[in-house]
Amino acid sequence: MSSISALRRVVVVTAASSLVISAALVAGSQVANAASSTPRTGGTLVLLEHEPRLDHLDPSRIYTGRDLAFMNSFHTRTLVAYNPVPGEAGANLVPDLATNTGIPSNSAKTWKFTLRPGTKFEDGTTITCEHIQYGASRVFATDVITDGPAYLLSWLDIPKDADGNSIYTGPYKNTPAGVAAYKKAVSCSKDNRTITFNLNKSVADFNYLGTYGTISPIQAKLDKGDAYDLLPQATGPYKIAHNNKTELLLVRNKYWSKSTDGFRTPYPDQVVIKFGLDEEVQDQIILGDSQPNAINFDGPLPTNKDKFFNDDALKNRRMNNSDPYANYNAFNVKKMPCLEVRAAVYYARNAKALLDYAGGPTYAGSYATGVISPLVATDYEPTKVVGPGSPDFMPEGNIPKAKALLEIAKTKCPADYKKATETGLVIDARQSSTLNDTIPINQAAYARAGIKVSYNIINSGYYSTVMNPAKQSDMTGSGWGADWANASTVIPELFASFGGFNLSQNDADPAYKAFEDKINVAMKTTDRKKQAAMWKALDKEAAKNFWVQPTVFGKAQEVWGSGLGGVFFWVPQGNPAYGKIWVKK
Amino acid sequence: MTTTVETSRENDGSIQGRSPRQIAWMRFKRNKVGMTAAAVSIALLSLSLFAPIVCKLLGIDPDTLNLEVLNTSGIPDLPNGGISLEHPLGLIPGTGRDLLAQLLYGSRISFMVAILTTFTSLTIGLFVGIIGGYFRGRVDSTLGRFTDFLLAFPSFFMIVALSEPMVKRIESTGIAQGNSARILFLVFFLSFFGWPGFSRLIRSQVLSLRERDFVTAAEAMGARRSRVILKELLPNVWAPVIVVVSLSLPGYLAAEAVFSFLGLGVQPPASTWGILLSNASRYVTVMPSFFLITAGSLVIVVLAFNLVGDALRDALDPRADR
Amino acid sequence: MYRFIGRRMFFAAITILIVSAVVFAIFSYLPFDPASLTCGQRCTPQIIEGNRIKLGFDKPIYEQYWLFLSGIFAGRTYGSGQAAFSCPAPSFGYSFNENACVTDMIKEAMPITINLAVGALIIWLVMGVGLGVLAAKFKNRWPDTSSSVFVLLGTSLPTFVTGLALLIWVSIKWKIIPMSLDGYVSALDNPGRWFMYFILPWITLAIAYAALYTRFTRAAVLDTLGEDYIRTARAKGVKERTVLFKHTLRAVLAPIITMAGLDFAGLIGGAIITETIFNLPGLGRLTLRSTYEFDLPVVLATTILAAVVVIVMNLIVDMLYAVLDPRVRI
Repeated sequence: MSSISALRRVVVVTAASSLVISAALVAGSQVANAASSTPRTGGTLVLLEHEPRLDHLDPSRIYTGRDLAFMNSFHTRTLVAYNPVPGEAGANLVPDLATNTGIPSNSAKTWKFTLRPGTKFEDGTTITCEHIQYGASRVFATDVITDGPAYLLSWLDIPKDADGNSIYTGPYKNTPAGVAAYKKAVSCSKDNRTITFNLNKSVADFNYLGTYGTISPIQAKLDKGDAYDLLPQATGPYKIAHNNKTELLLVRNKYWSKSTDGFRTPYPDQVVIKFGLDEEVQDQIILGDSQPNAINFDGPLPTNKDKFFNDDALKNRRMNNSDPYANYNAFNVKKMPCLEVRAAVYYARNAKALLDYAGGPTYAGSYATGVISPLVATDYEPTKVVGPGSPDFMPEGNIPKAKALLEIAKTKCPADYKKATETGLVIDARQSSTLNDTIPINQAAYARAGIKVSYNIINSGYYSTVMNPAKQSDMTGSGWGADWANASTVIPELFASFGGFNLSQNDADPAYKAFEDKINVAMKTTDRKKQAAMWKALDKEAAKNFWVQPTVFGKAQEVWGSGLGGVFFWVPQGNPAYGKIWVKK
Repeated sequence: MTTTVETSRENDGSIQGRSPRQIAWMRFKRNKVGMTAAAVSIALLSLSLFAPIVCKLLGIDPDTLNLEVLNTSGIPDLPNGGISLEHPLGLIPGTGRDLLAQLLYGSRISFMVAILTTFTSLTIGLFVGIIGGYFRGRVDSTLGRFTDFLLAFPSFFMIVALSEPMVKRIESTGIAQGNSARILFLVFFLSFFGWPGFSRLIRSQVLSLRERDFVTAAEAMGARRSRVILKELLPNVWAPVIVVVSLSLPGYLAAEAVFSFLGLGVQPPASTWGILLSNASRYVTVMPSFFLITAGSLVIVVLAFNLVGDALRDALDPRADR
Repeated sequence: MYRFIGRRMFFAAITILIVSAVVFAIFSYLPFDPASLTCGQRCTPQIIEGNRIKLGFDKPIYEQYWLFLSGIFAGRTYGSGQAAFSCPAPSFGYSFNENACVTDMIKEAMPITINLAVGALIIWLVMGVGLGVLAAKFKNRWPDTSSSVFVLLGTSLPTFVTGLALLIWVSIKWKIIPMSLDGYVSALDNPGRWFMYFILPWITLAIAYAALYTRFTRAAVLDTLGEDYIRTARAKGVKERTVLFKHTLRAVLAPIITMAGLDFAGLIGGAIITETIFNLPGLGRLTLRSTYEFDLPVVLATTILAAVVVIVMNLIVDMLYAVLDPRVRI
């Protein structure tokens, strides 16, 4: 339930049920010096970060792919995990705290996980089912535990009140009836080793949610709500030594043992994130290799990408991969009900200029064909309605087509026509210095078709503003990546009125009702092949209705120093597998 | 600080009499640096004022994009950063717009903020200063305490902290929206923290003028207070005022640039020098000329105005040693 | 004497109270709902109402102000039960963005700003007073001319231009003072690294002030040199050096110290640009960041703090004057 720029979550790519993974998926990713020499234990891994903190450390609240890849590699263990290996195999689930990857029954409405013995918290307490039961309950305290994935809220079999809210309100404030209902939905076996989740519908890939910290063990007596975000208890090989504005230091957790962990290989003695660095300085440190054991946690600045990627001397210290985001501008259908106007806006955009501005196909990605990213391989197919493959798509903009559409709109919906050409459309955008350039580029592009646009620049609380229907403008810049390789985490989230990230407000559209019915059918479909076909059709249908203006399927770059070994792209997390990096001597 | 009157008396003689204005002007003319700076300042101001005409004459346009000449890093792929006859100062990376045209058009908002702010704070300063200096006593000490308090206030800090809530406030009242609201906010708060400087100066001026014979005479003849203030006092405080104005204008120009640079001032697509500088700082490692030209322009303007201010002070107040 | 000091302190206390109330009012009468800023994307009316109560936004403003004041002395707890977040006294509020007590955030940022301000103050005093005295001593000769060029440049170069230029060229391009990864270190722990960490920000800040102080010192020294007692001293055959350093400088130093005290106080909140350019996690940057993020409790606290520092510094300067110069006691 989050989106590109709010949370840099980078996400999952392949599905449990889809064993066929597109080779193109990892074709672009370089698996640099993964096996070039033998890993070595010791040393300090340094990560360079511009921001003065990570968004969240609390396992229940982390949602960005990078932070998940980081914390789950080192600090937090979850029920299941993605296998940290290069290539497609990286998307396979492996047991982590559990002994299996989950056993579904009752047509995937009931999921059981049995815990591995001998796992402990950093204070030596043995991890039991109750700890996980408690950890999973926290997401229901929606006022405190914000920002994490919220699937449990809608999937667990807990009655809802008249307003549609769960009767269970989390561990901090609750009613006996709520607690009883929760304990029924998430129950522990007598020996406290097996946890059972009872869902209100079939969810064939529920175990993928188990890779998120939202289902992870937490000791009730140490949970201080908000304060837990600053210093969560470790279950993995490292614990937090300190966490301040300057750095987050992870040191070895003596209660973690190799024998209880199937895949973690904690090479460095210490892992430290250096906060609050100048972005230019971060790049210079990597370029000049003055700190060989450092990796740029942010990725290089746009102006420095050529320096990193055109220099052969750096070829073992960089990678350039597709990221899982499909970017788009959502049309606020309530304010722009006229299909022709929305389509005209789509065609008037100068996609090429903006892609080039962001770094071109080399660094920025490719023209989007819909909202389902090619990385969700099973469910992806060019819609042939928008983007490459569509006969009307031109990278610089199809101005004759846009003008023709506006001509139709002039008589069909004169109010909307007037708004687009005279009053001007307002686009929500997050404050950024690149707006200095992209706004003029966009205004010039739209002006070619006679469309006027202005910008509503939002400094803070971007998504809490635009997700408020009263405050959202005509169009809203956004981006979305699948939570795991199933478009069930994309199409319903973006286009259903019950979805968590519907910026299109499309339920007023006459085409919506039929669309929602199809979503409901697709969600119930357990045959993955049939379901994939449905998602493809729905992506196409959404594109035809121009509920969003798809823009770019993104790309991301990583750069690091010569003193690091074993850096490779961890496909499902869209980031390096930080836990596999080792420090050369 | 009472030179104007004194000089006129000293020069009273058989030689042809000169007004204090003429004397000051003569002194100013002798100051070569001051004259040059004044010429530069006036030239820059008029370039900014007539930006559309100037740009038309030079055949440049601030909004034309030249995307096709940019490389993958957004840098103009031309010799000398695109500096040519067509584009005298080159092109801006990222969008390929003409830098000179952007600087000229951008300076208009910057100058507008600076001039409006100076005008507003001067008006308040004149009002408070004259009241305090004229009435003295309790009125003066109350006003004095207030101005001292404001002068000591961390004004820059306050403006930063207040920017978001106050801009929202202005927008919600419906007086202005978007950039107008931001300009209004800047002008209002820069003046709010700026007027005490003016008022303190004018007060001291008025305090001494009050003791002059011509004021006493006017009062003795039964002139109304308003007449004394408007006809006798106001015309005689202009000398120091001109100096302070010429010195504070560049200060406010730089202040506008700083706030836009921090992202709290005017927002794109409007262009100001602060926005250009924030752009320039993003590209500084790959295209330092953009930063150097933009920062250099700002420094030249501020320097020119400062020099004019210094020269004016020397001309109007020969005792002040500088 | 004590009565005077007592009265000034009383007035200072009243002023602080008024300032804090005004600032508090500005940040409370907002044209939007502060509670709606406290939750991320999944904001439901229930959550907003819950947070409103938790953070006390549901109470009338005078009561909120009272809670804020009493928090400073008694500490404050937000919410109830297990998820309660308590900030011990002195509590300046709770940042819902960072899940931290504002006091702790200020405590982390304060040393950096103080180090920055003190270092810059020393540099600009030494430079400003030194150049000013030289310029006055050699009036209209080359030291005077070159110092006036420095004054002009110093007053015309905006801080962010100097700062950026120093950062880009001295630090990044020429690597004379390379940026280090290790953030702030105390001077006691590692003086070398501490010096390297602060030297460029110090210079950036000091240049502008040094120019003003040069100008001021030069004028003041020239003024004093024209005084009767200096003429008397010279007439008595006192050495020129003694005249300059003992008689003149002493007279000039008092107003300079006053100025320095007030400028220093202003810097505690006013070094925003320098802190931003050099990524120093001090009070200025904390405020700027919180302004961007609408983290109201933090902005409120830092604003009041900056004002209090100024008022207290004014008080100290006043009292120093009273001690030094008995005529001030009115």
